[in-house]
Amino acid sequence: MYEEPYRWVEAVGNRRQYLDEQFKQGSPVVALTYDGGILLTTVSKGTPKLYEIYDRLALGGMGHPTDLEKLRFSLLEMAHVEGFNRSPSDVTGSRLVKYGIAPVIKQAFEEVYKAPFIVRILVAELGQKPEKDAILTINYDGTFEEMTGCAVLAATLAAQAKMMSYLKEQTPVTLSLEQALDLALRAWAIGSLAHQQEETDQQAETETPASKAGASTVSVPTADALMAHVRGIAGGRTIECAVLERQAPGTSKYRSLKSADFSRLLPKALQSVVAN
Amino acid sequence: MQGDFLQLLKEQGYMLGTPTAVGTGHALTNATTILAFKYRDGVLVAGDRRATAGNMVMYDRTDKVLEIDRHSVMAIAGVPATAYEMVRVLEHSFKYYRRTQLQELSFDGKLRAVSKLLKDNVPAALAGTGAVVPVFAGYDLEQGSAKIYFYDILGAEFEGVEYAVSGSGSPTIRGILHYLNTWGDQPLNRLPEEQAMVQALRLLTSAAEFDSATGGVNREASLYPVIKLITGAGVQTVPDATLKPLYESQVVRYV
Repeated sequence: MYEEPYRWVEAVGNRRQYLDEQFKQGSPVVALTYDGGILLTTVSKGTPKLYEIYDRLALGGMGHPTDLEKLRFSLLEMAHVEGFNRSPSDVTGSRLVKYGIAPVIKQAFEEVYKAPFIVRILVAELGQKPEKDAILTINYDGTFEEMTGCAVLAATLAAQAKMMSYLKEQTPVTLSLEQALDLALRAWAIGSLAHQQEETDQQAETETPASKAGASTVSVPTADALMAHVRGIAGGRTIECAVLERQAPGTSKYRSLKSADFSRLLPKALQSVVAN
Repeated sequence: MQGDFLQLLKEQGYMLGTPTAVGTGHALTNATTILAFKYRDGVLVAGDRRATAGNMVMYDRTDKVLEIDRHSVMAIAGVPATAYEMVRVLEHSFKYYRRTQLQELSFDGKLRAVSKLLKDNVPAALAGTGAVVPVFAGYDLEQGSAKIYFYDILGAEFEGVEYAVSGSGSPTIRGILHYLNTWGDQPLNRLPEEQAMVQALRLLTSAAEFDSATGGVNREASLYPVIKLITGAGVQTVPDATLKPLYESQVVRYV
């Protein structure tokens, strides 16, 4: 039945709706450059969402764990085979994304009689120089964007936009790791609050379709309120952080932060949550 | 097998060391002296820097003590082309395993990986184009102890309890190591870091004295051996600036 063009467009539209629905429970991911490299942050439940891909590449994801695993493995395979056959400096995030997984994701999305990948992916790449740091994001339909400075993943484009504008207006010239972690968690809270807001808006819409005005004019919460939100949610979950450190010894620059790092870096209000 | 990088390479048509008959006119680069022994804080691995082909010196600044990951090194004696290739395969294999399986490959797993590569390389080794006799040393974080292993060209693995040597200059210093460890002032594994480095310099200087294929220290060219220390904190390469005063004060004898 998909042979007719109209049907196909309709099917792809349905698919978007279905996929958007899948990310609602997801946790946003924030990537941010700081004076010593790149920081990735999320709050995960059960399965980890941040991974090492290659010497200077890290992955963050949202969506179905099995789909994320599949794509993570193909990234790992491509990166290591290329790094071995050519050289580690030829393994770049943009090539892995643009010619590697983005086409695969797009194809799976458009083959409407097969299952799509339920993922949004972020690939952070530590350049040889700070100016060369790059962060790529890929959506479930295969569209990718290359960014510098900061990038986020969230359940909806609106939430993503809110997080980005929050990051953009707060970013001083260079952040220390501690400042970056603080900012990243606040941006995460912006995204998480936006998810909640959208949920309640939707419910309100179905109950009283007429009164819709109030929701969009909410002002940006204070830093304390954002941290309180993180504290509230992080209780039953794990704050997950990873860094690509330019000064790290050896070739592998990826390191996931451990509780010892957290007790040094996290704002006091959050330390009790991590200790549990 | 999960997380097996070599398998992945083979699926793509990769083959380590193809056996070819060696022409009579060709002298292959080989011959060397490498040594490893346990000292107080971990394990010291050292190697001279000369690469020879027959009676010709090919290169005087070879690094034969190669870091595979943060806690293991492979010192190589034999055909460098094959040895470097093996090190590259191992390096990527351990990284690939860690990143796919989200845990470090065990020390025993790493030893097996070296054996397997040597076994794959047997045809080339017997043909004379690719014999490699490595010493593998590292710090086993799980057990909190330093370990040394040496291999034959067929891939058999032997644990060198206190020390291991390989290469054309090794017969000379094997005896010295045995003597030092048994009747020296203190056993090797109690030597502090600086004393361990001095012994390594003396041993390599002795090897160079009796083996033309082992390069000694050349102070005019500020050429010193490669010495690496592996402790719980990772692999550390000793800079020439540290070796120079030690060599001048405790190795040189003016007679």
